[in-house]
Amino acid sequence: MICENCKQRPAKVTVTQVHNGEHFERHYCEVCANSLHPFYVEYKHDPLSLHQLLSNWFNHADQPVHQKQNRPQLVCDECGWSIQRFLDEGKFGCASCYTSFRKQLPNVLKRLHNGNTSHVGKAPGAFGEKLKLKKQIEAVRLQLKEAIEVERFEEAAKLRDEARELESKLAAGGDETHVD
Amino acid sequence: MSIERFLDNSPSSWMAGIGEHSDIVMSTRIRLARNLNGYRFPLAFTEDEAHKIDQSVSATLLDANEDLHKHFSSIQIKDLSELSRQVLVEKHLISPKLANSPMTGSVLLSDDESVSVMVNEEDHIRIQCLFPGLQIQEAYTQADAIDGLLEKELPYAFDEQFGYLTSCPTNTGTGLRASVMMHLPALTMTKQMNRIVTIISRLGMVVRGIYGEGSEALGNVYQVSNQTTLGKPEEDILADLQSITEQIIQKEREARNALLKHSSNTLEDRLYRSLGTLSYARIMTTDEAATCLSDVRLGIDIGLIKDVDVTILNECMVFMQPGFLQQYAGTTLNASERDMFRAKLLRERLQMGVTPKTKGEELT
Repeated sequence: MICENCKQRPAKVTVTQVHNGEHFERHYCEVCANSLHPFYVEYKHDPLSLHQLLSNWFNHADQPVHQKQNRPQLVCDECGWSIQRFLDEGKFGCASCYTSFRKQLPNVLKRLHNGNTSHVGKAPGAFGEKLKLKKQIEAVRLQLKEAIEVERFEEAAKLRDEARELESKLAAGGDETHVD
Repeated sequence: MSIERFLDNSPSSWMAGIGEHSDIVMSTRIRLARNLNGYRFPLAFTEDEAHKIDQSVSATLLDANEDLHKHFSSIQIKDLSELSRQVLVEKHLISPKLANSPMTGSVLLSDDESVSVMVNEEDHIRIQCLFPGLQIQEAYTQADAIDGLLEKELPYAFDEQFGYLTSCPTNTGTGLRASVMMHLPALTMTKQMNRIVTIISRLGMVVRGIYGEGSEALGNVYQVSNQTTLGKPEEDILADLQSITEQIIQKEREARNALLKHSSNTLEDRLYRSLGTLSYARIMTTDEAATCLSDVRLGIDIGLIKDVDVTILNECMVFMQPGFLQQYAGTTLNASERDMFRAKLLRERLQMGVTPKTKGEELT
């Protein structure tokens, strides 16, 4: 058989296309196949392999495959999914899975996110404000300690009041949004 | 408001052909994935949970119409015919996953179709903002506003370490996917796309072909988006995408200039042949239509073809798809009927897009 495209070289590659639910088979030589479907090999398997990759990475990183069967499975008590099911599907069953598998997750996440395992960035309002307040209080307390060490008591008193005010805000639920 | 509006009115605001660098960047999309505490993720939840989530998200957003200065309509996916679902998918207003979901789910659409909030897709909430041209920051600001509104009323699943908790670990953290849809004919013609795809993937970004199955870049349209969502704040993700997009724009412009300089006759011939095909062909497959539309678009961008409106081409890219064609025809069509109907519609649309003066000249 010769290539359908250039009609010169022998056909070596079969391309199956699904178009509007119909299957088409095309036969190309290697040269034409490459130019017509340059991204074919790189991407076609991507969605399929995600969970396979997850599974492989995790198992390699953690334990030899044959031991896996003997160990009791880690299971999320909220949705009942095991960690193996998470790895097989490549998806979580519920938000509590993140808590149930907390120890194992960094291993998986760092491979998906360029080595990162912790979130930085936006947080839901109340959550974000509380985090911000906590950090502010920490900073003020540090300044307070320094002020006491160098015996600048007037400044220390001010800082102490500031810390108290921030703490009362935190106790009130961190609702005041314009603390800085 | 009735659903027909969103089905009949082919042009969405993102097709307007405006915005910065709109000759190369067709549209910008921001997507935020969010989930509610207390319910399992859509892969594991029950119909009862699905129903409750749907009700509370829809109610919250519909109540907030005034604050957002946008009017939203809620559409239950189950109420739609298969064809209507396909049309919404082809307009990028819902995903195939939501269209085929057996559980209760819905989409909340703003009247200008720039915002769509999907309920019970892979995550409980998917906020999507689609803007014309390169408008990464603008689209994010809009998505962020809707996110802020929802989070005030609904308890989000969030973890201090992992950030926003999502069904898929590839979205964990910010839950943010920012993408730009780019028309890159010159980089494709000069066979530079492979190299660019490789470089970009090293920078934590992904390039895929849009339209069509799998990875083929039908009509030379590529989607560039961030791959990682964890460990980088939103601003950095957006800034990185902006900078990579600008560099690709630069490379595409260089490639266009090189083509014009070194093979302007061949290029001109090809672009005008495509215009001819679109104007006169009687049978047109999706692939051929996409290729021809891409050529004519390039012809307009580089000033060769002057009398066709870019907006019409953007619309054509959408309505030449199978679902839209059948919506227009008002009946189901098999593949070969579709190819004929597509050719007819493209002919008519292009004639409408040609200014009367030129048309007169052609007739005399």
